[in-house]
Amino acid sequence: MSWRNNSKRELWLAWYSMIAFYNIFVIVFFVLTHAQPPPYPYWSDAQVVFWFSHNRGGLLTGFAIMFALAGLTLPANALIAYSIRRMSVSRAFAYSYLVIYSLAALPGMLLLCVVLSVGAMRPDRDPVLIHWLYDFAFLSYVGTMGIFLIGSLVWMLAILLDKNRVLPKWFGYLNLCNALTEVVVSPAWIFHRGVLDWNGLISWWLNMVVFGIYTSAFIMLLRNMIQREDFGDGPLPTHQLAGTAR
Amino acid sequence: MRRADGELILFWTLPALAVLWISAFFLFPGFVHPMSPSMTAAQVADFYRDPAKLSRIRYSMILFNWFGVGLVPMLTLLVMQIKRMAHRTPILSYCLLGCIAGGPTVFLIADLFWLLAAFAPGRDPQLTVLLNDLAWMTFTTAVPFLIGQSLIIALAIYLDRPDRPVFRRWVAHFNVVIAAALVPAAFTGLALSGPMAWNGLLPFWLKNLAIAAWIVVMSIVLGRNIYRQRAEGSARPVTEQTVAA
Repeated sequence: MSWRNNSKRELWLAWYSMIAFYNIFVIVFFVLTHAQPPPYPYWSDAQVVFWFSHNRGGLLTGFAIMFALAGLTLPANALIAYSIRRMSVSRAFAYSYLVIYSLAALPGMLLLCVVLSVGAMRPDRDPVLIHWLYDFAFLSYVGTMGIFLIGSLVWMLAILLDKNRVLPKWFGYLNLCNALTEVVVSPAWIFHRGVLDWNGLISWWLNMVVFGIYTSAFIMLLRNMIQREDFGDGPLPTHQLAGTAR
Repeated sequence: MRRADGELILFWTLPALAVLWISAFFLFPGFVHPMSPSMTAAQVADFYRDPAKLSRIRYSMILFNWFGVGLVPMLTLLVMQIKRMAHRTPILSYCLLGCIAGGPTVFLIADLFWLLAAFAPGRDPQLTVLLNDLAWMTFTTAVPFLIGQSLIIALAIYLDRPDRPVFRRWVAHFNVVIAAALVPAAFTGLALSGPMAWNGLLPFWLKNLAIAAWIVVMSIVLGRNIYRQRAEGSARPVTEQTVAA
């Protein structure tokens, strides 16, 4: 069947955009810019200045790629909002999720990209100010809690109430795990050292492991949802029955 | 005669916005000859301390603050057009709504940094440079949602029914060209001078001309559509998809 006549093309495009975004995100944040795992919150001005000058090219190139491609988050969020819309719950859940995550990109990612780029572009800036930019970027990024907390809870509640079997109930509870990691992140605003600081074992590593499992799970589950989609408004068919829908 | 739904009022806010936008652009002394990122701290501080320039900076940025949010109704009218297209899902209108939330917000943050720099120009020049850098970098790299919205509109048109399209094909091609013209601005952090610096040919002139062309062209095709759809009245049946969306 040709691409043009594939009734699920919009859903698949959104799903592949999601895959593309997470791959680019990993390359930019972990490989190019070394913004993840985050450097230490207790560093001296001199260490922070050294970190910027050491990573200068990677920071500026990596975030430039992010500025060009961050729009890929939109189809990803739209697809999740669509999954909620397909459920038997009120549209209010899908719209809440869409609004919350549309704003998430800003404090949760783009501010860090702008602020670290500003830090990297002038290595001769007063070290105290470079350090301020460093704190600004990482606290904004790691400390953006409410969006992911409330967003995950909205998705969770929709899944648990849903009668259309769009996503499995266990994934509803996994949303709760993801939401709870946003609670454990909050001490990052207070601690400069230890397991609760912004790159600590609890605030960052635990959060990242749960987020990794959570993201992999919903990528697979959304793929499964698209395969089963029948564009009706009742329960979503199981795999075997949906063989002809593509 | 159909019931007034207010779309025409939203559409005709555009001339007022255009006046705001053009006057703010020429009022801000840092745009007509865009400020170079290689200016020294003393030069940047002097720019904000010059009394003649200072009031123009403040007034222009206050106007820009209104302008950024003022575009939201026009962008939302584009969402309404996408909802009329022959799509199976509301995914693309959800994407465009996401852009509408994100784009003006980024622009408002840039505006905030400029106004902060101008609020107390007597500050240590290093702090003024910091705010000025944050303003220019936020403003120049604020392209993700703009690239996103052009590509989403293009995709929406490509996926529309070819025999009775809401927008013609060339509008989609035009949006792809605009998206491409916005890409160099994302890379401005890499250059403090030359054509890739934030005052350079590609991140400043090409990007802002592309945005201007986009607003003008999309306003015209949007206005034509709204009037055409009104003239057709209920001739175009409400399809199942539009109800579902």
